[in-house]
Amino acid sequence: MRLSYLANGHNHDVDLEKGEGGYRVTVGDSSQVVQVNSSTDGALQLLIDGKMLKAHVAAEGKQRYVWLNGKSYSFEKPSGSARRGAAAEAGGDGILRAPMPGQVRQVLVNEGDQVENGQTLLLLEAMKMEIRIQANLDGKLMKLHVAEGQTVDKDATLLEIEEG
Amino acid sequence: MPPEIQPPFSKILIANRGEIAVRLIRACREMGIVSVAVYSEADANALHTRTADEAVLIGAAEASESYLNIERVVDAAKESGAEAIHPGYGFLAENPGSAQAVADASLTFIGPSPEAMRAMGDKAAARTLMGKAGVPLVPGYQGEDDDESLQKAANDIGYPVLLKAAAGGGGKGMRVVENPDELEEAIGAARREAQNAFGDPRMIVEKYVTNARHVEIQVLADSHGNTLHLFERECSIQRRHQKIIEETPSPLLDDELRDVMGKAAVAAAEAVSYVNAGTVEFIVDPDTRQFYFLEMNTRLQVEHPITEMLTGLDLVQWQIRIAAGEKLPLTQDELSMRGHAIECRLYAEDPASGFLPATGIILAWQPPDGPGVRVDSGISAGTEVGVYYDPLLAKIIVQAEDRPAAIQKMRTALRDTVVLGLTTNREFLLDVLVHETFQKGTATTAFIAQHMNPWLPDEYVPVEALIAAAISEFHSPSNTGANLSTSENDPYSPWKRLKGFRMGMGQ
Repeated sequence: MRLSYLANGHNHDVDLEKGEGGYRVTVGDSSQVVQVNSSTDGALQLLIDGKMLKAHVAAEGKQRYVWLNGKSYSFEKPSGSARRGAAAEAGGDGILRAPMPGQVRQVLVNEGDQVENGQTLLLLEAMKMEIRIQANLDGKLMKLHVAEGQTVDKDATLLEIEEG
Repeated sequence: MPPEIQPPFSKILIANRGEIAVRLIRACREMGIVSVAVYSEADANALHTRTADEAVLIGAAEASESYLNIERVVDAAKESGAEAIHPGYGFLAENPGSAQAVADASLTFIGPSPEAMRAMGDKAAARTLMGKAGVPLVPGYQGEDDDESLQKAANDIGYPVLLKAAAGGGGKGMRVVENPDELEEAIGAARREAQNAFGDPRMIVEKYVTNARHVEIQVLADSHGNTLHLFERECSIQRRHQKIIEETPSPLLDDELRDVMGKAAVAAAEAVSYVNAGTVEFIVDPDTRQFYFLEMNTRLQVEHPITEMLTGLDLVQWQIRIAAGEKLPLTQDELSMRGHAIECRLYAEDPASGFLPATGIILAWQPPDGPGVRVDSGISAGTEVGVYYDPLLAKIIVQAEDRPAAIQKMRTALRDTVVLGLTTNREFLLDVLVHETFQKGTATTAFIAQHMNPWLPDEYVPVEALIAAAISEFHSPSNTGANLSTSENDPYSPWKRLKGFRMGMGQ
């Protein structure tokens, strides 16, 4: 069966076939025989083509986290509509999102206000750190999605500006 | 049978959370003292809540409703029969009002007197006082703090300047201002941060010394007139004015400068009749080797473990003994430094995007171990790291015979640290440790901005990491049952699609 993992915007397909005492795993053009020596609480001990390897893996929703040889990796298992990442990256469109989870400390503008590129529109606070949310273009504030005191998640839409 | 040692207190309340609460609880246990934790609604399952002998719920998740609420903390101490309160760092630690409230309730505050805290806590008054005691000061201004006066002072001192909360510390309510245009907005932002963190918006202005080293001296003073210094800690590796790597001894100091700075720190402490553990922070110009008083932190520091590793003294146990009136058994000459110690602070934050705090659930946590490795942490698998508190997850501390050996030991310890489920600065710390400037021991407080910015994690994905992820889809749940609950509700789980997958097919 095929599993797909998204890492840093790149998709990686992993083909897995279960056989006697192990798996045949194919990634790109490399194919290996993998045996599972032990697996406890996410700690894996694998034999990959006879070579011993220790890893830790954890899962939450569609996120997969792997520790291997002192490095950590984070993968996403793409769902049918795996376009969320792409939409969030297009930042210069006047939609301002929360760079961190936190609480809206102060809103400095009203809907309908004319705003300038660089103008501070809103103050966000988390863990006693204050972040200024600034306009990324000149234009009119079309929509204010949050109110003072509101708690927001990372990447939540805060404000929308229309160029002009 | 060894003789029974009478503990200085029978029960202590720990007015903090996270790694420091766990560390304080451990000291109590070692001394035969019953520990009482306090916790907020968000921390009902936190490690400190579970580790203490007793635990008292004191309020909602917001710190102002719980850990910063001195009345609830004092009530909890009285209800549980604790005789003393240890504030740790942050929260109530440097608040003279808290120390006074504890004393007024006939309990012992494990820390300095409210008077000493007041004298040092007000950065403006402390500057004046230290100037009189002959401790060298950074050029600066402490006076009327209306925007206009601050503006004039900044112009007189010359840009860049550093705005600091008069009541502050720990990088909160602090702003570097490069030019006059930025001053007004910076004052506004710093005041709001200061108001939120300390309940006091007053500001002072100092010359911002670029390319300086941050070197601090640990002092320990008893109530019998003995003040010792426990050498220095070099804390130049900072981001957002907060330390992330500390070491001792400082690669910059020699015995002569150490002695002069140590004596200045003792003089600073004695000028306010300081009792208990405290830290005098200096900045040092590496070219002239001139040092300047920055501030005195009237509490235990986050980075205290490296001093413990270097000197073999347990600072927390001594804080408790001193609060109970015990006398320091050592003289300055009897203290010595053994090898080299380093601490790395593991934070839930994203070094690739301005070190912004990260949140999430710790899905896996396996701290490093081995000879000379110590880990102070307040987390366990399942801990939720939210927006309410400081994102410090753990401190990794090592001690080895010299600096290169300590760096090697730290690199191994950090590589061995398994923390999964959220973004941390672990790999950033590893990159700092191998940087030429850090290895030479010449990094200044501008090091991260100058050498590590921008920083991006290595994006290479080895095939083995993908194999491990894929294999674990079929193994972790079935073998342990530990992760099964999440998998059952997980639409992405391959178990949903495994029907019809015949064992032994293929080969």
